[in-house]
Amino acid sequence: MLAKGQETQGDGQGVKRHKRFEALEKRDVNQDGYVKEWPEVGLIAMGSPEDPEPSIKIEDGVIVEMDGVAREDFDLVDDFVARTAIDNTIAEEMMALDAVEIARKIVDINVTRAEVLKVFTGLTPAKIAAVMERMNVVEMMMGLQKMRARRTPATQGHVTNVRDNPVLMAADAAEAGMYGFAELETTVGMIRYAPFNALALLVGGQTGRGGIITQDAVEEAMELQLGLRGLTTYAETVSVYGTEDAFRDGDDTPWSKALLASAYASRGIKMRFTSGTGAEVQLASAQGKSMLYLEIKCVMLSKGVGVQGLQNGSISCIGVPAAVPGGIRAVLAENLVTTCLDLEAASGNDQSFSHSPFRRTARTLMQMLPGTDLIFSGYSTVPNYDNMFAGSNFDCDDNDDYLIISRDLKTDGGMVPVDEQEVVAARNKAAEALRAVFEELDLPRITDEEIEAATYAHGSKDMPERDTVQDTKAATKMMERGVTGIDVVKALAKRGFQDVAANVLEMQKQRVSGDYLHTSAILSPDFKVISAVNDVNDYEGPGTGYRLEGERWQRIADIRQALGPDDI
Amino acid sequence: MSDAGATQQQVTKENAGETQQQQVVKEMEFEEKGEAERGSAPDEVVIAISPAFGDQMHAQTLTEIPHAAILRELFAGLEEEGVKARVVRIWRSADLAAMGYDAAKLSGSGISISIQSRGTALIHQRDLVPLAPMELFPQAPSIDLPTYRHIARNAAQYAKGDSPSPVPQVNDPMARPKWQAISSVFHIRETEFVRPDEKPVELGVTFKGR
Repeated sequence: MLAKGQETQGDGQGVKRHKRFEALEKRDVNQDGYVKEWPEVGLIAMGSPEDPEPSIKIEDGVIVEMDGVAREDFDLVDDFVARTAIDNTIAEEMMALDAVEIARKIVDINVTRAEVLKVFTGLTPAKIAAVMERMNVVEMMMGLQKMRARRTPATQGHVTNVRDNPVLMAADAAEAGMYGFAELETTVGMIRYAPFNALALLVGGQTGRGGIITQDAVEEAMELQLGLRGLTTYAETVSVYGTEDAFRDGDDTPWSKALLASAYASRGIKMRFTSGTGAEVQLASAQGKSMLYLEIKCVMLSKGVGVQGLQNGSISCIGVPAAVPGGIRAVLAENLVTTCLDLEAASGNDQSFSHSPFRRTARTLMQMLPGTDLIFSGYSTVPNYDNMFAGSNFDCDDNDDYLIISRDLKTDGGMVPVDEQEVVAARNKAAEALRAVFEELDLPRITDEEIEAATYAHGSKDMPERDTVQDTKAATKMMERGVTGIDVVKALAKRGFQDVAANVLEMQKQRVSGDYLHTSAILSPDFKVISAVNDVNDYEGPGTGYRLEGERWQRIADIRQALGPDDI
Repeated sequence: MSDAGATQQQVTKENAGETQQQQVVKEMEFEEKGEAERGSAPDEVVIAISPAFGDQMHAQTLTEIPHAAILRELFAGLEEEGVKARVVRIWRSADLAAMGYDAAKLSGSGISISIQSRGTALIHQRDLVPLAPMELFPQAPSIDLPTYRHIARNAAQYAKGDSPSPVPQVNDPMARPKWQAISSVFHIRETEFVRPDEKPVELGVTFKGR
């Protein structure tokens, strides 16, 4: 601020500007929106004055008071958390521990992951918030490295396009498979395209790499139906909230979400919940509580429901915590809490939150350096203009930046370098495979021109137009006709895509064996489940845990841009 | 905001890097006509407006588009298709889907348009579930006046039983970093006007200066 008397120039043209400030204002970081804390409505990342003090009272094995609220005054969320997410046989003992002592256990390499997990089963939401309050971001990263459930880190990609073009989507899914994504997620621009998007992702994904698991984030009933039909192989967009009002806005309760989770589990489909800081305040129902405190309730609720994992890290509300002080620290804290409750952590980084490449990178290093079950949930494998989740923190034009950061720091970010001609071949094969499936299932025609464009496209701007009315009508009919994953397998096999058909069939079999319902489960290219059961994180300091080495390190180190002595 | 009073005003709106200049109507008056009833005319679309829309919070969206200008475009879009507009103020909620769903149930055609003060909009239909509207326009800062008119044209076509192509949307991945937090503050302020027990009210609309 200028001192009094300096505000105006004599010519009445207003304040004379310092040229450096004018230059600063043009910088990317100043295209972002920032707001001041407003604790009364919950616009505060951590430590709102309205957050309760930790407390617990147990009588006859029942929690009768939690965080200063008597049982008869519990709202839906408190009630669910108290009933299902706290082990009341050890809660009094664990709540008696000092918050600093618990924070130290998280960081201390001499305290095992199992011991920390046990402590967290006895904590209330306010106590967990108090523990996070004691940690800085480096300590939280130490915690994430030790506490994530699966030993091997991985990542997830978004595959969408603004026109819901299925040919492009199949090609993009194949390319993403080659980059090493463990999971692919799509959504729609137009709701009625949902069945085609699921189909394109399934066929394209299994062309790029067998074992990639795919989901279609749409309205819950449609999403479930796609899963039951075997057109998707996991689900994630089942949102939970930290206040009763926010649940009601979504026409839901913790019990209805639990029922939905059971529906997936009963048919052998992997699923996780979604939540994140900022959702309640964005829905104007935070009741003055901090974003992290409410998010901790979501994590505990997810634990209580019994789902294997949770996608958080603010997710679609990232612009809210990112706009207030300490917000990105709170986002890291919510990922850490998820791991401390022994849930799979799909840790966000999935939404555009800043114009500044510095802010974007700093935010992602919080999860990339320690590694999580899915560092991004997900990374935009397509250009952000095609990203129908309204843009991710990184997109396909950042692939080399991300891979080279990974190489610089010898850190596994879940992606590997690819060969251009191999990618082109895979894209073409995926587009052709989808055409075969469309023809066999009597769906609208895919032209040679579309196949050619999809093979080489940067994004949907490079694609010819499709008849969207005809497509959406056919997509609706496809659902009415009861088309399933098995029909896709048959179509692929009949038209000579035996390997893709075999991969799609393997994905259907996973639902029968059910092994990929275990915490943090992903599939290797030969359909072996890699989960917190057979690949449990054993980090206990240097010399232990996951290390990027051997063939995988060589692959990440060997980038096409690096010159050898013979090249010079 | 200057009190330009009653007439058209030049507004400049930044959109996708281009500067568009449009003549827009800036003010309107509402006349309350009592509790909104279920319509029987098959050729009407109900426009649901949120508790603060049009007469509170500077009567403009996040990107400073006057609410009056938006309503006028919605009327014009419906009129182009020969469909009648009926405006209903929803008091019980400022939630876009809830408003749109309530309005669809009041609509003779079963089709509604719902709009919040910040500019977020959707098209709903009474046989759908509340959270699955026909078309959703979630990024208020990316919606310009021609798009609002297009939204109304589509709603009118659905009312007539047609299947229009969905309204094309600008997908601006940088809208979130710029607007999300500010949009949240905007919405929190709007919810302060919610009256949970009050029924929807039908409104007459008079645009001023036209």
